[in-house]
Amino acid sequence: MIVAEQKPLEEIRKLIAPYGKILILGCGTCMTVCNAGGEREVSLLHSALRLAQSRDGGEIHSFQEYTVKRQCDFDFLEVLVDRVKEKEERGPSPPPPLSGEGRVDAILSLGCGVGVQTVAERFPDTPVLPGVNTSFMGASKEWGVWDERCAACGDCRLAETAGICPITRCVKGILNGPCAGAKNGKCEANKDMDCAWALIYKRLERLGQLEKMRRYYPPRNFRTIPRPRRLVSKSEVPGGSHG
Amino acid sequence: MLKICKTLNHTLMPPCQAACPLRMEIREYVDLIAQGRVMEALQVIREGNPFPSICAFVCTHPCEDACRRRQVDKPIAIRALKRFAVEFGGDRMVRPEVESIHEEKVAIVGSGPAGLSAAYYLRKLGYPVTIFEAYSELGGMLRVGIPKYRLPREILDIEVQRLIQMGVEIRTNTPVISLDLLFEMGYKAVFVTVGAHQGLRLGIQGEDSPGIVDGATFLREVNLGLKPSIGEKIVIVGGGNVAIDAARTALRLGAKEVKILYRRSQAEMPADPSEVEQAIEEGIEILFLVTPTKIEGTEGQLKITCIRMELGEPDASGRRRPVPIKDSEFSIRADTVIIAIGQAPQIPEDFRLRIGRGSVIRVDPVTLTTNREGVFAGGDAVTGPATVVQALATGRQAAFRIDDYLQHRYPLVDRSERQALMGELLPKTIEMIRKLTRFEPAVLPPQERTKEFESVELVYDWQSAVNEARRCLRCGMGAEILSQDKCATCLTCLRICPYHVPYLDDSGIIQIPADQCQACGICVAECPAKVIVLRKPQDRRHIDEELEHILKSAAQSKLKPLIIGFCCQYGLYGTGILASLWRGARAGVWIVPVLCIAKLETPHILRAFEMGAEGVFIAGCGQEQCAREDTAFWALQRIEKARKILGQIGLEPERLQAFNLYAPEEDPTMALDKFTERIGELYLARALKQEVRA
Repeated sequence: MIVAEQKPLEEIRKLIAPYGKILILGCGTCMTVCNAGGEREVSLLHSALRLAQSRDGGEIHSFQEYTVKRQCDFDFLEVLVDRVKEKEERGPSPPPPLSGEGRVDAILSLGCGVGVQTVAERFPDTPVLPGVNTSFMGASKEWGVWDERCAACGDCRLAETAGICPITRCVKGILNGPCAGAKNGKCEANKDMDCAWALIYKRLERLGQLEKMRRYYPPRNFRTIPRPRRLVSKSEVPGGSHG
Repeated sequence: MLKICKTLNHTLMPPCQAACPLRMEIREYVDLIAQGRVMEALQVIREGNPFPSICAFVCTHPCEDACRRRQVDKPIAIRALKRFAVEFGGDRMVRPEVESIHEEKVAIVGSGPAGLSAAYYLRKLGYPVTIFEAYSELGGMLRVGIPKYRLPREILDIEVQRLIQMGVEIRTNTPVISLDLLFEMGYKAVFVTVGAHQGLRLGIQGEDSPGIVDGATFLREVNLGLKPSIGEKIVIVGGGNVAIDAARTALRLGAKEVKILYRRSQAEMPADPSEVEQAIEEGIEILFLVTPTKIEGTEGQLKITCIRMELGEPDASGRRRPVPIKDSEFSIRADTVIIAIGQAPQIPEDFRLRIGRGSVIRVDPVTLTTNREGVFAGGDAVTGPATVVQALATGRQAAFRIDDYLQHRYPLVDRSERQALMGELLPKTIEMIRKLTRFEPAVLPPQERTKEFESVELVYDWQSAVNEARRCLRCGMGAEILSQDKCATCLTCLRICPYHVPYLDDSGIIQIPADQCQACGICVAECPAKVIVLRKPQDRRHIDEELEHILKSAAQSKLKPLIIGFCCQYGLYGTGILASLWRGARAGVWIVPVLCIAKLETPHILRAFEMGAEGVFIAGCGQEQCAREDTAFWALQRIEKARKILGQIGLEPERLQAFNLYAPEEDPTMALDKFTERIGELYLARALKQEVRA
């Protein structure tokens, strides 16, 4: 799951400063689960922004809130068309006034980076502002705590490292560990953090696969990954209406 | 979504309500008592019960037997709480409103609880009603059966008076011998509720000797003011409530030695256990597993030959059948023997009603109709000796069925009944529920109570009542997921529930079982998808509405600085420590009542500040005092979140404070004074700054 945290309120206020009508847009999937941009956070941010402007004297912005199931697919964004009302959808005549009902000046997206970009692509005439900092892909350790687990390197070696990813969980990301900095199973960069390679060793021992520690893994060539990546899971077959 | 949210009542019928023949909204009125809202509690009680003050004294409270707190410690003292609401809520002042709508006269034969209840509801439906009573006073078994120490007669008199005020015509000393006569008199329907006053016989030798009386007759004589001379040594045969009542009454008439013979053991005794306990306290001896076989009159005394019993196989009633032990005969002497082994109705033959087994009138259980047109029957005359609350329920049923009959309608049997909550609490839930002692209402000491016929049980004081009511588990009004579609299955609810109630089912969907949820509301406020709601509509937007209401009033008052306090309304907060604040005694301080601070959300706090509050405080229980787990912890989590936001906006976090109203180290009123003073300073400083800037 993608984990993110909401930007500091001050930063969000600076982002929205030039705009009047703002749609705070939540995302009902990863951002809900990591407490960064679900329906509850949308309403909390809404309250906080309203409070902030009330203390600065006077109404500068007006807010709307909405949460879609997933911001990273166009289809979920269709419900917003009426709220956003961009140029081409406003109809030919008479043109509604700029501050007309339903029109928004900017969308403050509490989706991850993927969501923000998808929304921006769907509404080309409306500024879309990021309300969260997308942090990592991770798992929840307990209520309110998340740990990074995957770097999306595109070349998974977890079978050789006992299901523990050294790229993500080792500070240095080394493929042949542990390094000389490991002490009592902890990392030299942070004494409270487990050394990923010590964890790998222990688990390989448990699995009776310690011979995997003795192998040498050559350095990886990250330059071979062309960005941006695209995945195609369908086959090239003639016909069909989805081509 | 919100609209659906506001109207749909998803609460399940709690076990107490399902067990009550009157289906009273017990959970609702107990909750109101827990908030100290006793008048509203009485209103709820009166809606479901025609004579709450009578039930408050003598109800056999099947609700308490069904109460699920029994699985944790002891059931809620529901009857005692009802008595508290009746006495403190001003039941004596209530005047039911009636309107005469119909012309069809209805006759009620017998004025026991079923008859009185039918009269009450028929009158409310707008019918002219006449009650015919054979004895000189109304009440049936309430008057002639139940001793005064259990039901003070003034209580009964008040209810009778109320019926008279409602316009019910009353004819005492008027035994009805023929129903035809009633129809000739112009009555269109008759409700026969003559009770079961005929004592059953043991069927042993010497049962008709002088000095032997049946329990119902004995109690009737005493209750009608006669003072039967019974001597000093009394033996009572039987194990039901009548036997216990007769024993305790005999003691109050001056008997020196009272013995009860019961043929089974204490566990099988049908009498109310608390009554049995009180009887033993008063010095009554109960001989278990003993039955009389022969009674002889000798030298002005009675010699009772008894035999000891042992318990054999279970019989049709599910209780183990007592079997005599050979050669275990012994004899005891007594001045009077009272036989209280049950009663049967005695229906005059001229009524021409079909009689079934046990001399009871045969009726259709749904419509209460008999073999004669326009004649309905109910109460003990149909069921055999039963409870007051059952009789009241039958009376109400009869009123509605008679209404259907007179208006030529098909019987409108209640179809809207809510789904009842089923299932026991799971051991893991029970383990997490806080054990709270049941507050028993005080009783008069045994030495004092046997002197007279004074009421034995005393009413709760305010604090015990509120604390007792707070023990309620609020079964069936817990949380539910309003839309599984919106649920992100984030597992927040599963991880934070203090009672481990939510679980993932096999298809990966979160379920919140209604029979386990304790309705604390923590998950409702923490759900990041805002998809969990409480089942009761009033619980859902309660704080929002109260807050907006208070903000509107505060805006009108224009007093500065404005301070908003979110205060728990359970317990004595509403009436005790913060009483002066609730009444608006301190200028500028406004209180928003919340039903437990765990239901407060961060946006509520921010909203108060947005609307001009200079300071906000939250007052409620600490970790230890709430009846629910973890409530203070979650309130503090949300307060910290709000503080962080205040800091980011440039407001001093000290403007937001939490007060533990039970804190031993500091008097909450003093702490509150300090807080308001500090807010005053902050307000002045800010006002000054603004002036300088201007």
